[in-house]
Amino acid sequence: MRTISLYVEKESFIHGLDPVTKLWLTASLLIIPFIVGNIESTLVCLGINLALLSVARVIRRIFSILAMSLVLIITLFIIQGMFYGGNRTEAFALGSLVFYREGLRYATLLTLRFFNIISASMVLILTTRPSDLIESLVRRGLSPRIGYVLASVLQIIPMMISNTSTIMDAQRSRGMETEGRLVTRMKAYLPLMAPLVMSSLVATQERAMALEVRAFGARNPKTFLHEEIISRHALPIRVLTSLGLVAAVIWRVIL
Amino acid sequence: MKPEVMVQDLSYRYDDGEEKALDGVSFEVYPGEFLGVVGPNKAGKSTLCQALVGLVPHFFHGNMDGRVVAGGIDTRETTVDELSKTVGLVFQNPFTQVTGAKLTVYEEIAFGLENIGLPRDEITRRVDEMIALFGLEHVRHHNPFELSGGQMQRMAIASIMALRPRIVALDEPTSQLDPQGSAEVFQAVAALRNQGLTVIMAEQKVEKIARYADRVLLMHKGKVAACDRPEVVFSRDNLLDLGIRPPAYTSVARELDLRRPDGTLPVTLDDAVALLRNSSVNS
Repeated sequence: MRTISLYVEKESFIHGLDPVTKLWLTASLLIIPFIVGNIESTLVCLGINLALLSVARVIRRIFSILAMSLVLIITLFIIQGMFYGGNRTEAFALGSLVFYREGLRYATLLTLRFFNIISASMVLILTTRPSDLIESLVRRGLSPRIGYVLASVLQIIPMMISNTSTIMDAQRSRGMETEGRLVTRMKAYLPLMAPLVMSSLVATQERAMALEVRAFGARNPKTFLHEEIISRHALPIRVLTSLGLVAAVIWRVIL
Repeated sequence: MKPEVMVQDLSYRYDDGEEKALDGVSFEVYPGEFLGVVGPNKAGKSTLCQALVGLVPHFFHGNMDGRVVAGGIDTRETTVDELSKTVGLVFQNPFTQVTGAKLTVYEEIAFGLENIGLPRDEITRRVDEMIALFGLEHVRHHNPFELSGGQMQRMAIASIMALRPRIVALDEPTSQLDPQGSAEVFQAVAALRNQGLTVIMAEQKVEKIARYADRVLLMHKGKVAACDRPEVVFSRDNLLDLGIRPPAYTSVARELDLRRPDGTLPVTLDDAVALLRNSSVNS
């Protein structure tokens, strides 16, 4: 059964960290460059994120994502290089197109920030099972109902997609055109909606009843099947990232 | 003997219903008994099962009269999650009973136990026990959605039984399963019987009910049409008028006028064969 997850099963120091520490680490490495606001801090955070991805042996997974964003990056350099509001110093010219240093520098900062956001997020996403992350958050006070919604959606959406395909096959077997021109394909989705929505509503009600008879609404404190294992590296990492955040704020305020 | 389940003059109408789904239903079930509930569509079987676990009236807010007492608890005076420790309910559709929030069969069975706040070692003990009882060892690490219909329904029963209820209601648990899946579920229900549980099972497969049930509750249009031993209920002349087809062996025996000394017809293959042998010897 497919679930909505990019988690990559590996044995590594990063995989062994508890989800909340990873969430804290990711959030810090993502926020610090925005607080400090210069290229150097962004480069440092990006370097740390790439090192973490490398240690977790999942770095290759982000190359395709970064490659996909190449068009966006090129567009960014062209627009900022030529039209950035603070453009003063000419860098080079391609015929009549003039590119400025200030614009190119700003485009570099935006690009590095973008790469940093992607790589920081991937440290969490590629090395953490979504269910583990949600369970960790529920342990720390997230409502079990919200936790359930987040966890179930990862499996139930693929189920709904599978149901959609079954209903489409049923419609197709009765002669409905579902392929060809865009208009034909769009028309095919209209008769799909009623059975899909109805079956989803019925399934939701039945699932709600099934949850109720398994004490989902119980008001007592929940317990957990799995013991939460906090790695010995968790505390130093949380302390270091907290110090990094504090240092970034001080840097911003003082300088 | 004190009844385990007491349903007294139970009537219920859904908020959007024109007619009563249940109309003056009364019966009792005794500890360790297997009560089969049969009846055509819209007879009120599902509503009755939902009333036994308190979903009616706590989940569906309609008009309810009468009372249901299960395991000594009046279902109106407690919550569904509190009742779940005494009465379990298994639904028709195995797919919609999967929570969707757990990644393995093992975790799925543990879901209810986490909700009632059991300690971890007790959870693992109970889940291991249920996995062994319902023959799910080879799929314990599988994703629940990857199971066959029969396995999924057995997992659903195991999830309910892990809460250790004294009474379990099953609402047509085999209606969406193939013969193999149905056989697996009935074997699981037989395992519950052997543990001394009180079983109330709504089911369309009358041959199976005739084989497993101690008594049969025949429902029609929300009312109790009969409640007696299977051979008494299935020997009635007006079964087809009530929307129920008798077991195949009973129909054959009726054609052959093959009756027990008390005038009832055989309802299982073994009964029919024994009667046929006796009649051959006598003739």
